[in-house]
Amino acid sequence: MPLLEVKNLRKSFGENEVLKGVSFTLDGGEVLSVIGASGGGKTTLLRCLNFLEVPDGGEILVNGERVFYIDDETGKPVTVPGVQNIMGMVFQQFNLFPQYSVKENLTLAPILHAKSDKRRFKENKREILGEIDKRADEILSVVGLTDKAASYPGFLSGGQQQRVAIARALMLSPEVLFFDEPTSSLDPELTGEVLKVIKGLKSHERAMVVVTHELEFARAVSDKVIFMADGVIVEQGPPSAVFDNPQSEKTMAFLNRSEAY
Amino acid sequence: MGFWEVTQSLVSGLGNTCLIFALTLVLALPLGLVISFGSMSSFKPLAYLVKIIVWIVRGVPLMLQVIVIYYVPGMLLGVPVFSRFVAVIVSFVINYACYFSEIYRGGIESIPKGQYEAGKVLGLSRTQVFFKVVLMQVVKRIMAPMSNEVITLIKDTALARVIMVVEIIQAAQNYAAYGLMWPLFYTAVFYLAYVGILTLLFGYLEKKLDYYKA
Repeated sequence: MPLLEVKNLRKSFGENEVLKGVSFTLDGGEVLSVIGASGGGKTTLLRCLNFLEVPDGGEILVNGERVFYIDDETGKPVTVPGVQNIMGMVFQQFNLFPQYSVKENLTLAPILHAKSDKRRFKENKREILGEIDKRADEILSVVGLTDKAASYPGFLSGGQQQRVAIARALMLSPEVLFFDEPTSSLDPELTGEVLKVIKGLKSHERAMVVVTHELEFARAVSDKVIFMADGVIVEQGPPSAVFDNPQSEKTMAFLNRSEAY
Repeated sequence: MGFWEVTQSLVSGLGNTCLIFALTLVLALPLGLVISFGSMSSFKPLAYLVKIIVWIVRGVPLMLQVIVIYYVPGMLLGVPVFSRFVAVIVSFVINYACYFSEIYRGGIESIPKGQYEAGKVLGLSRTQVFFKVVLMQVVKRIMAPMSNEVITLIKDTALARVIMVVEIIQAAQNYAAYGLMWPLFYTAVFYLAYVGILTLLFGYLEKKLDYYKA
């Protein structure tokens, strides 16, 4: 059974139909890259899978269970509560909380979640906070920012900020981690450190979906590549197939244009 | 009438000045936040209603509002509703809450959408996002316009005397009946000292919030 299954997902903004029925599956531990020109619907797809946008139609299943669907009777979209916690997201613009230190950025959400179970939190306050703190330290060392734990985001480089954002998303142990053009707002010399971290996260513990313009990176880390244009998946398959043996004219044209850069 | 006696009576007038100032702040700061939520409500009739109220309150002189709040309820019901002092507080709180609400709204709307989205994907509720993520950034952004309003408030307290609530200006003006003008000018010293302290306080707060870059 696939970890994530997306069926005929549709989304419009007014007259503008951005997703015209997108379907794909993703297995646990897999890395999926979504490529394509701007305006093709890549980011909207990611935002729908994160429920930052509510899709107009289609279904999303996680481990075979429907977490999003259109109710047959009312015709209204239904999102299963709590589903946010199994999806993690890393934004193009990092979106770190500037008033909190790096460490606090990591621990804020886990602490608030722990506090929501008031009784348990009160009785085991010290252990829970200790665990969260320990986990934050471990994850900071994974992204190589142990020495920046006490710094504030505004004083870090873009690459460091994005690594903090990745660490923050990892704190909640998401089953699927989404990256929305994680290196697009970085200076070229800083993209490497972020891509290296993302590469290092590939494991059986989680699946990852990366919207990216870094085709070399997509080819190197992905198990599966989706090429999107005009709101539909034009081509999908293993990177070797999509990059080396594209079947569609559109894919070929896109890859040629991208290589020209 | 000597300097010492005048000083004493001005200081006793200053008591009311400080009380109006403090009560207005304590009540109008939270009320302003509530009003700003109203004006940003996605329920349009509420948003329009709040905007109209803010327009009226900001569009009419505070002095007139003090008079209206004091006299009109009594005229309608036949019995006085508010004491003079309470009428001053009610009108000041409503007036300042409306000004504050616009400052809050500006601050809240200036926070990038990404902050809300980041909170949401981390599974935080809307309330948690507002209080744990957004509010502190709003406070930093509105510090300068807020300090302006607060400084204006201390001088606006002089309007209380329109319904005979004695504050420092009224205390000084009472001497004018005896042909003494200098106590009135002397009040400026008190205002300047008060505003000086406020300026230092706001400077300190701004510095405290300087530890991060937005």
